[in-house]
Amino acid sequence: MKILIEVLEELWSMFVGDRRLTLLTLVVVAIAAAVSMLVKATLAAAVLLLIGAVAVLADAVFAAARKARD
Amino acid sequence: MIALATAAPAIGAAFVASTVEVVEAFTIVLAVASVRGWRPALGGAGAALGVLAVVVAGLGPLLSLVPINALQLVIGILLLLFGLGWLRKAVLRAAGLMALHDEAAIYARESSRIGREVRSAAAAHGVAAMAAFQAVLLEGLEVVFIVLAVGAGRGLMVPASIGALAAFVAVMTLGLLVRKPLARVPENTLKFAVGVMLSAFGVFWTSEGLGAPWPGGDWALFGLAVAFLVVALTLVALVRPRPAAVTP
Repeated sequence: MKILIEVLEELWSMFVGDRRLTLLTLVVVAIAAAVSMLVKATLAAAVLLLIGAVAVLADAVFAAARKARD
Repeated sequence: MIALATAAPAIGAAFVASTVEVVEAFTIVLAVASVRGWRPALGGAGAALGVLAVVVAGLGPLLSLVPINALQLVIGILLLLFGLGWLRKAVLRAAGLMALHDEAAIYARESSRIGREVRSAAAAHGVAAMAAFQAVLLEGLEVVFIVLAVGAGRGLMVPASIGALAAFVAVMTLGLLVRKPLARVPENTLKFAVGVMLSAFGVFWTSEGLGAPWPGGDWALFGLAVAFLVVALTLVALVRPRPAAVTP
């Protein structure tokens, strides 16, 4: 039972280790999906996804860096 | 016949990512062996590999039932979450804001912990085997996810599995030869590279799953990886603490 709980915790931390990063990533994917399906601008959706992912990474790094310095 | 441009990123990503995970698992198995000998260490590790084999055998046929676009989208999103999280930690480590992963320190800590548990438990052999089982299972789950993630989106399970298997053989051969924690494997650099590759795969598969493929097909993966590498290195330079100015 203890191992099962640890496995589930490991799986959870793999994808939701940083809740803010997870939430923002899902928002970026939702926006890219909307652009792809509603506007039919597929290249724009792909580029938006890349820029969004980079922005989420930068946000997560700056937030962690601020926390580490405080 | 799978084109090299298609298979190489899957093999490379699976190999590098699996190397990191296998090194971490090996450190714990070695710690168990140093406390109770190789029998419980290899027994626990073998049992965990058996469980992982069952997981892979069960998931493989199930994944083939899922429509390819849905599979690419789900795997892409999971890879994005996993890859960006991994890259975030790698950037913080490279900038000196997070402690570096140190296999020698982990080995010393785990040997001491397992030694304490073994001394206080009646079934010392079982406790040691369970520690090895747990370590291999937890690290192995990440390897299984990585192989599925980089391989399942476009029928690249075989190249991805070859990459993971090669990493396992390389680390185990090296580890059993030196019988010491593999502290000289540049794990932090590898983790940085893995974060870059998984993030690139994540953007690539999510785009494909959304019906918004990148121009250039599979070659776009290299471009995405370069983009993430440049951004990650820039972030390292931006957040690295500057040395305090020396006043005369």
